[in-house]
Amino acid sequence: MSETPTTEHSTSDHPEGNRKESRHNTEDYRPKDYQAGADYLAEYNAEFPLMSPKTDLTRWKIGPFHASLPASMILNLVLDGEVISRCSVETGFLHKGLEKALELSPWSSLVPYADHLDPENAVFGELVVCTAVEEIAALEVPLRARVIRLILSELTRISAHLSYTVRLARSVGSDTIVHYVLRDRERILDLFELLTGSRFSLNFLRFGGVKADVTEGFIERVLEICELIKIRLKEYNDIFTYNFSFTRRTYGVAVLPVDMIQKCGITGPNARASGIILDLRKSSPALGYDRIDFQVPIGRGESGALGDIHDRYLVRLREIGQSIEILKQLTEIIPPGDFLEKKLENDIKIPTGEAYSQVESPRGLLGCHIVSDGSGSPNRVQFRTPTISNLLCIPELIPGTRIEDLPVVLASLDLGIAEADR
Amino acid sequence: MNTLDASAKLWTSEWCRALGFLDGVPTWFYFFLALVFTYCFVVIPSGSVLSYLDRKLSADLQARVGPNQAGPAGILQPIADFLKLLQKQSTEKSNWREDVWLSIHTMALYSTLAVMPLGTFALMLDTEMSAFLPFWSALVLALGTMLLGFSQGTVPGWFGGMRIAAQTMAGSFPALMGLLCTGVRTGSFQWSQLATIQGFSPLSWTVFSNPFQTIACLVFVTSGLVLSATPPLDGGLSMSDIHGGVASQLHGRKYSLYRFGRFYVFFLWSVITVVLFLGAWILPLEVSRFLSDKGANRILSILELILLLFKTFAVMLTVIWIARVNPRSRVDQITSLAWKVLSPFSLIALVGASLWMGWRNLG
Repeated sequence: MSETPTTEHSTSDHPEGNRKESRHNTEDYRPKDYQAGADYLAEYNAEFPLMSPKTDLTRWKIGPFHASLPASMILNLVLDGEVISRCSVETGFLHKGLEKALELSPWSSLVPYADHLDPENAVFGELVVCTAVEEIAALEVPLRARVIRLILSELTRISAHLSYTVRLARSVGSDTIVHYVLRDRERILDLFELLTGSRFSLNFLRFGGVKADVTEGFIERVLEICELIKIRLKEYNDIFTYNFSFTRRTYGVAVLPVDMIQKCGITGPNARASGIILDLRKSSPALGYDRIDFQVPIGRGESGALGDIHDRYLVRLREIGQSIEILKQLTEIIPPGDFLEKKLENDIKIPTGEAYSQVESPRGLLGCHIVSDGSGSPNRVQFRTPTISNLLCIPELIPGTRIEDLPVVLASLDLGIAEADR
Repeated sequence: MNTLDASAKLWTSEWCRALGFLDGVPTWFYFFLALVFTYCFVVIPSGSVLSYLDRKLSADLQARVGPNQAGPAGILQPIADFLKLLQKQSTEKSNWREDVWLSIHTMALYSTLAVMPLGTFALMLDTEMSAFLPFWSALVLALGTMLLGFSQGTVPGWFGGMRIAAQTMAGSFPALMGLLCTGVRTGSFQWSQLATIQGFSPLSWTVFSNPFQTIACLVFVTSGLVLSATPPLDGGLSMSDIHGGVASQLHGRKYSLYRFGRFYVFFLWSVITVVLFLGAWILPLEVSRFLSDKGANRILSILELILLLFKTFAVMLTVIWIARVNPRSRVDQITSLAWKVLSPFSLIALVGASLWMGWRNLG
């Protein structure tokens, strides 16, 4: 890659600066001359052309829909040959307005709406909302319900990490592992169906418990599938993880340094892959993992570069293994008793107050701030989603990689655009 | 031209005479018939059989079912696909540059039909230069594909075209060296000579004649994949970042034409590999002698063709098997493989094979 020239720009010259200023102008919120890397060309030295930085750069605007993008977003790339020398991201194409929708809906509709915060990890959206509301209303959750919630969370974590493997494998063009992994993920969705009646949008958690008790044979099936996935993890390693071509595509590519993680606030497996031990399941006993014996896998830098794509992938594979351990222990300690403190009315009113709750979702730290003014619907709902941080690091992480690696890097960051465009 | 006339007449004229007409037609007509015949009755059926086998086998590898609706076990799927592709129309307005380059690249591609070795009697151009002609065609094909990509005026087209050109440049040197190795053993580059020096038994195949020829065969096959951008070494046609590169702007029938062209290069390369290294079409000596004594040249050429295609499919399916299981390599990794690994090994093979032959001749 060519040397990136670093120069100071005044705010008004900088395209991003212009953009911020004109945000409020609805007619033309984006300046006409806005182009990624315009400042690159501003470096051109007319007197000594050969002294100028590269001028034969290509601009490529990808998106909002493209095969190399994991979701709807626009990437403005400046290419130096095949190497990306500059990159900027635009998101916000989903227009979900989820937070506003939650504020306008009654309390009883919060849980089904929260499913759609991140459709792939529906349980965590429900969980974070329920924990916040329970804190405001001081609702006690029965122990049995807490364990059922944890079982669902860990199953979702396994399912999410399996889908991550699928996306990564697709991005490097490996079809076979995709089908193997999807086949096993179906088994977990079967479990969701057995427990809740639906496979994706579960709508199963309730304020103060869960909607229903576990169905007959569910615990046995969970253990069965834990054993199955444990065996399958070895198969994945044989066919994919240490495949020569795959390691060549991932070793040392798109390394996330610790300072970038701290600057962008990256959490979850992406941070742990770079060696940062940061897991709410360990650090926050309120989540209920304090009685469980498990480890937090962190990146080991087997490829020689700590925090590259392969580390991010391996951390997730190991987390699947740890989730299996957690599930086994949960099935042992699940106590008898109620699954719901008391069934709440449809037009329930939550007392005045506010609360901030956090859970460790498969993508990282997921937070929810709810303000209640004692009326029939929340006054304010805000989410802190891990994908926002992952998006923030893209403009610094991508430059220097080749465009063939772009889909792989994006897949490795595990972007859930649904929760970023909430 | 005399050999050309003679050989072209030899096998097409027999088939024509059996039909009871076409006596005394000019040679070029026999030649033309031979091309059409080869394309319609060898290349296209091979394409359909192989596409079926590919889909069914990769479905088995990937724990899915594969085609199972058209006919028993989905065996009519290639026909259904063919009919569907025929009626597909382009969704975009025609771009004349694209049309021009697509036709040039298709013409360059199928000109190799004339030198395709398919049996003792199915050799149209059997000259000292025959074995080199597919290289010329592959290079023209790369140029055509590159310009096809450039003419599209899109980023995927540019990068796809450039990558194809880079891969072809990188792959052709080791492939050429691999071909020279077989020439060292044979002393000629005529298809008939290259084939008849081998026998039916694998022990007499060029690939097992000495260790250097084995290296040469591996290099030849691998560099053929690089050269023709065949999976798993198809970084130039990467699906995930540039939508398949040059193919990204092609629609409907044009896309089918392009894809079939890519299959054809793969097929051609596998046929050449079999002829050069893996015993060609040579039947057991007794069988071929018995049939030619009886004058049953047509049966003989059919049997030869079956054997040749059987070996070719084995080679192709092995490659497909590897491609299904492995991720796609990046284009810079592919070119560096070709320049830094395949090229040195091909030189080692060439020097080694030459010394081996010299030593044997001395002894």
